[in-house]
Amino acid sequence: MRAILTLAGKDLRNLLSSPLFYVIAGLCSVLWSYSYMRNLLEFAEQSRVYMQPGMETGMNLQRAVFLAHISQINLLYVFVVPALTMRLLAEEKRLRTYDLLLTSPISATHIALGKFLAGFGAVSVLTLISLIYPLATRLVAEYPMGPLFAAYLGVLLVAGAYVAVGLFASSLTESVLLSVVLGLIFNILLWFLSQGASGSGTMISSVLEYMSLGQHFLNFIMGAVKLNSLVFLLSLIGVFVFLTQRVVESSRWR
Amino acid sequence: MIEVRNLSKNYGDRPAIQGLNFSVRKGEVVGFLGPNGAGKSTTMKIITGYMAPSSGEVKVAGFDVFEDPIEVKRRIGYLPESPPVYHDMYVRDYLNFVANLKGVEKNRVKSLVDSALEKTSLTDVRGRLIGNLSKGYKQRVGLAQALVSDPEILVLDEPTVGLDPKQVAEMRQLIRRLKGQHTIILSTHILPEVQASCEKVIIINRGRIVAEDSLDGLARRMSGGGHSVTVRVRRNQDAMAKALGGQLGVVRVANAGNFIEIETDGEEETIERVAGFLVSQGAGLLELRVQSLALEDIFIKLTSSETVLQ
Repeated sequence: MRAILTLAGKDLRNLLSSPLFYVIAGLCSVLWSYSYMRNLLEFAEQSRVYMQPGMETGMNLQRAVFLAHISQINLLYVFVVPALTMRLLAEEKRLRTYDLLLTSPISATHIALGKFLAGFGAVSVLTLISLIYPLATRLVAEYPMGPLFAAYLGVLLVAGAYVAVGLFASSLTESVLLSVVLGLIFNILLWFLSQGASGSGTMISSVLEYMSLGQHFLNFIMGAVKLNSLVFLLSLIGVFVFLTQRVVESSRWR
Repeated sequence: MIEVRNLSKNYGDRPAIQGLNFSVRKGEVVGFLGPNGAGKSTTMKIITGYMAPSSGEVKVAGFDVFEDPIEVKRRIGYLPESPPVYHDMYVRDYLNFVANLKGVEKNRVKSLVDSALEKTSLTDVRGRLIGNLSKGYKQRVGLAQALVSDPEILVLDEPTVGLDPKQVAEMRQLIRRLKGQHTIILSTHILPEVQASCEKVIIINRGRIVAEDSLDGLARRMSGGGHSVTVRVRRNQDAMAKALGGQLGVVRVANAGNFIEIETDGEEETIERVAGFLVSQGAGLLELRVQSLALEDIFIKLTSSETVLQ
């Protein structure tokens, strides 16, 4: 445990103090600020219309504003997370500091978990920044907190999956550039899997629907924490961390 | 302390080392000597548990490297060919990190980091970024990293490569100071390094051990007490070199540029005969230098021929 935390602490500090993180966090905030503001103002405009006497107020802040915000977070993460995780293992190999890790009294599992936690920590910080927007909205409007937190649990889990995928990509190569490209491709593939689910009710499409990242993520965004979605996302993270562990372990045998 | 039995490693179908056997006793300083590409680094990497061999076994302090890699790694401090340092970390933070990674007990971390800094004379630069240090300092940080867990065994892979002469001297002094506190294996392709720091030498060539002995023993056995005589003459160097080959007691003659290098059987009469011959031939003897056969000659002899001595 101590080895994992030592490793995670070092890499997290490294990530959070890198210019890369600041550039990413800065650009994300700019985008979020712009689109969140726009969505919120639009919502305010529409709800004024619906507020007229005799109209049903079918409006919901969660669906109208948070859904768009969270989809945007997800879209950004597909591209941004591989950039955050690209150096985790690839750089260690390139700088030969990998030798230090592999000759320290720690197992491949410790390495994979430590690295995952570091990446996940950095993405969590980014996610906290994005949480400022809905929380600030509370200053001007009342809304139930439960669904929002369910949605953010979903964001964290999906981000965790991207981190695990990016970490796996980083374990495959010495080149940081290749690592980020691979991570991106894997992430996009994960989303393509969900595209297959939208076909007609054949067996394959219903299986794909169970495996669809989008479907499970949507459950969370709608404010529902479903056990199968929870299990699916946790397993996705587990599988890629496990694959990373195998790759790290395999370097002993090559 | 370290037992290596029938160790082999192939990269693809290219054998890197074949059937290595040797042992290192507690407290010994062993030089692992061989030309580039002989399999030194591979052997070191296997001993440290970095990679697995194709066949054979390695025991460190009684633990098998493949059954109990964690226990073995706990006992070894390893300095790879290029120091495994993070350029964006401060020296002190880096050593703290390594100490924690190596599982040093929490209450000893500070004192061990301090003593590693002290031993490698890094105390002055402990607050600096490693990336801004010179190559020699980085190498020292690498050594401090190997020392920081206070391991029983130190494995140093070419610790002086790429350093300037002053830094090389400092590094050797440092290694000498570590003698007695740790069992040390030092790999190098530079001979004076072995002479400067080691008690025992293992010479490896093309993946096989060609000699294993103490420094003195090796010199005695290999040279047979022979001398190496270097001669400079004014005239007829080529003819003289040829003619010297026929002299009694001369083992080998090489015409090397401005000098003739002669290897003799070690009798003083032979040297006298060589000098007398050159003078009587009127070659204009300018210089005659006698040395007992040096480690360098032994090394070249061993690594250029196929002789295997055990």
